[in-house]
Amino acid sequence: MNKNSMSYKTSQFLMFAGVSTVLFCGVVIIPFVYGLYLTFTSWDGVSRSKPFVGFANYAAAFADHDYWVALGRTLIYSAIAVILINIVAFLLAYMVTSGVKGQNFFRAGFFIPNLIGGIVLGYVWQFVFKRAFAALFGVSLLGTTGPNAMIALIIVSVWQYAGYMMLIYVAGFMSVSKSLMEAAQIDGCTTSQATWYVTVPLMRSSFVQCLFLSITRCFMVYDVNLSLTNGEPAGKSIMAAMHVYNQAFTYRNYGTGQAEALILFIVCAIVGVTQVYIGKKGEVAA
Amino acid sequence: MKKQVSMVLAAAMTMSMVAAVPAAAEDITVFNSKMEIQTQMEETLQGDYSSTSGDKVTVYYSSDTVAAEMSKVYGSGSPYTVAMVDAKDIYSLAVEYGVDLSDQEWVANTTQAISVDGKVLGFPVCVEARGLIYNKTAIEDITGEEFVPENYKTLDAFKELLETLKEGGMDAPVAIMKEDWSLAAHYLAMFYEEREDVDAYIDALYAGEADVAGDARFNSLMDTFDVLKENNYAKDAPNAAVREDSEMFLADGDVAFMFGGNWDWAVMAEFDPEGEYGIMPVPQNDADEYYTLVGGGSKYFYVDNSENTTDAQREAGKALLNWFVFDEAGQDFLVNTCALVPAFSNIELEVADPLGQSVKAFADADMLTPSFNYMPDDHYAKLGQSMQSYLANEIDRAGLAQAVVDYWKSTTPVEH
Repeated sequence: MNKNSMSYKTSQFLMFAGVSTVLFCGVVIIPFVYGLYLTFTSWDGVSRSKPFVGFANYAAAFADHDYWVALGRTLIYSAIAVILINIVAFLLAYMVTSGVKGQNFFRAGFFIPNLIGGIVLGYVWQFVFKRAFAALFGVSLLGTTGPNAMIALIIVSVWQYAGYMMLIYVAGFMSVSKSLMEAAQIDGCTTSQATWYVTVPLMRSSFVQCLFLSITRCFMVYDVNLSLTNGEPAGKSIMAAMHVYNQAFTYRNYGTGQAEALILFIVCAIVGVTQVYIGKKGEVAA
Repeated sequence: MKKQVSMVLAAAMTMSMVAAVPAAAEDITVFNSKMEIQTQMEETLQGDYSSTSGDKVTVYYSSDTVAAEMSKVYGSGSPYTVAMVDAKDIYSLAVEYGVDLSDQEWVANTTQAISVDGKVLGFPVCVEARGLIYNKTAIEDITGEEFVPENYKTLDAFKELLETLKEGGMDAPVAIMKEDWSLAAHYLAMFYEEREDVDAYIDALYAGEADVAGDARFNSLMDTFDVLKENNYAKDAPNAAVREDSEMFLADGDVAFMFGGNWDWAVMAEFDPEGEYGIMPVPQNDADEYYTLVGGGSKYFYVDNSENTTDAQREAGKALLNWFVFDEAGQDFLVNTCALVPAFSNIELEVADPLGQSVKAFADADMLTPSFNYMPDDHYAKLGQSMQSYLANEIDRAGLAQAVVDYWKSTTPVEH
C-alpha cells in the first residue's frame, strides 16, 4: 500500500484521532461557531425565530456600561486573588515538602476545599461572613458598604484554590533533584538561599501552570459569585461572567450576552497566553 | 388446529392491548416557580394526584429566574408539559408556546386569566397583593388598645404609632426586605401603578419625558419609605438583612411591620402559625384614593404546545388544571395546603391564612390597585440595585429619581 496516498493518511488519522476529533468538534468547535452565529442575531433565548441583526449586539456590548464596570471589577479581583492564591499555595507547598510531621495529612487537608463545589462553598462562607462575623464583630461582611463583598469573594477564592495550586508546587519541589540542593549547600549556600537561587528557578514551569490556571479560573468565576454574594449589595459584586449570564438569560438579550461572553473570552485568552509566553521564555532545564 | 390456536392467541393479545389503552398513564412534568409551595406541590401532585388520576406527575422547581429556566428547557428540547410562570412570561413565551385554553370550562369562573389576541393562554394560580404586613398582637401588647388599620391611613398617623411602639419598648418596629424584587418590583413599582393611566406613564418613562423627581406619587411613596427606613431593625446594615430573619422577627413580634405580600405567609407560618396578622395599604398622606393593596392574579400556568409534548400529555395537563378548579381535593390543595387565595369564583373554601384573608377582604371590597405586568426583564435587577443604594443611604432621593429616569430611557419597551 502506498503510504503517501491520501486515503492511507486519512485512514491512519481516523484510526488514531477520529473519535477524539469528532468529540472535540461536537463539544467545542460546533458550539463555539454556533455561539458566534448567535451573536449576530437578536434571539431572546427561547423563541423559534432568530432574527439576524448584524453587529448590533457588539455595538450594544461596547455601549453596555455595566459590563465594562463588571469586567474592570473582575480584573482587580483576579489580580489580587491570583497573587494571594499563589503566595499561599507556594508557602503551603514549601511547608509540606520540608519534612514536617504528618505532611501527607496536611497535603490532603489543604486540598479538601477544592473538592467542595463552588456553590456549596459559597453558602458555607455566607454563613461564616453573615452570622459568625455579625456575632464576633457586630457587623456582617456581606451586604455592607465598601469593598466588603469583594474582600469576602477574594478570601473564599484563595481558600478554595490555594490547596489545588499547592499540589502543583509540591510536584515542582519534588521534581528538583536533592543533589542540586546539596551541591549548593556544599558551595556555601544557606537553606533559604539554596531554595531561592536553585530550587525556585528550576520550578518555573510550576509557576507558569499555576498562574495560568488561577488566572483563567478567577476570570471566569461564577459559582462562588452566585452563591456567596449574588452580585449584592446594589450590584457592587457582579463579576463579568455573572453579568454575561444575567444579560443572556435573565434579561433575555441572548445575542448581546453571547457577544459579551466572546469579549470576556478574548480578554482572558490574551492575558493567559501572554503570561504563558513570558513564563515559558525564561524556563531553564536542570 | 394450530392455526386456530394462534388466531385465538392473537385475538387475546389484541384485546389485552385495547384494554390497556384507557389505563395508559401519561408522564407529565410540571414546573413550579413558587418556592414556598414546592414541598406541597411535590407531596400532593406526585402522590395523591398521581395515584388518583393515573397520570404520573413530576414537579420541578428552579432557583433561577423563570425566564432563565424556560430558556434552558426550550434550548434543550425538553419543555415542561405545564409551567407556572409570571404574567410577562405568558406574553413572551406562551404566545409562541402555549396551548389555546379558550374552550376550557374554568375560563368562565375567573376574571384573572390572561388572553392574547382572543386566545386564553394563562391559567391564574392565585390572587396576590402587597402592602404593609402587621403583627396585630405585637402592636396591641404595647398600645393596650385594639389595632384598627384604618386609623393609620396617613403617614402622620402611622409615624405617631411608630413613636408609641418605640416608647413602649420596641426599638425598631419595622423590617425591610433588601431583596431586589421586593424593593424594585414590589415597592418602587407602586408609584407607576398608583395612577389613572399607567400605560401612558410608562410610555412617558420610556420616552424620558416623565419628571420622576417631581412626581407626587413617587415622593409620597418615598416619604413613607424614608420612615420605614428610619425605623428598620437592620438600619445600620440594611443590605445584610436576611429575609428569613425579618419574617421571624415579624412573626415573633420583635418588629410590628414589614412591607411584603400574602406569599410571605408560607415563611411566617413556620414561626408562629397562630398569630394575628394582616396586610394594610402603605400609609401615605393625601392619598385616600390609593388606600388599597396592589396586586391581582399572580403566577400563571400554561400548557406547552411544542412538538416535544404529545397531545395526550397536553390533555393530561388540561385535566390537572381542571382538577385545581373543580375537584374538591384540588380546591383544598390550593386553599388549605398551599394557603393561596384562589382566583376562581366557584371555589368557596374559606381562605386559611390571615394574610390571604386580608387580601381577599380588600379584593372583595374592590380595593385592589392592579399590578403592572409588563415590566422589562431587567427592571427588578437594575432598579433593585438603585433601591439598595438608596436603602443604604449611598444615593439620595434625587439620585434615585435620576436612576429611574436613566433606566427607563435605556431599556427596550415591552410590547403588550
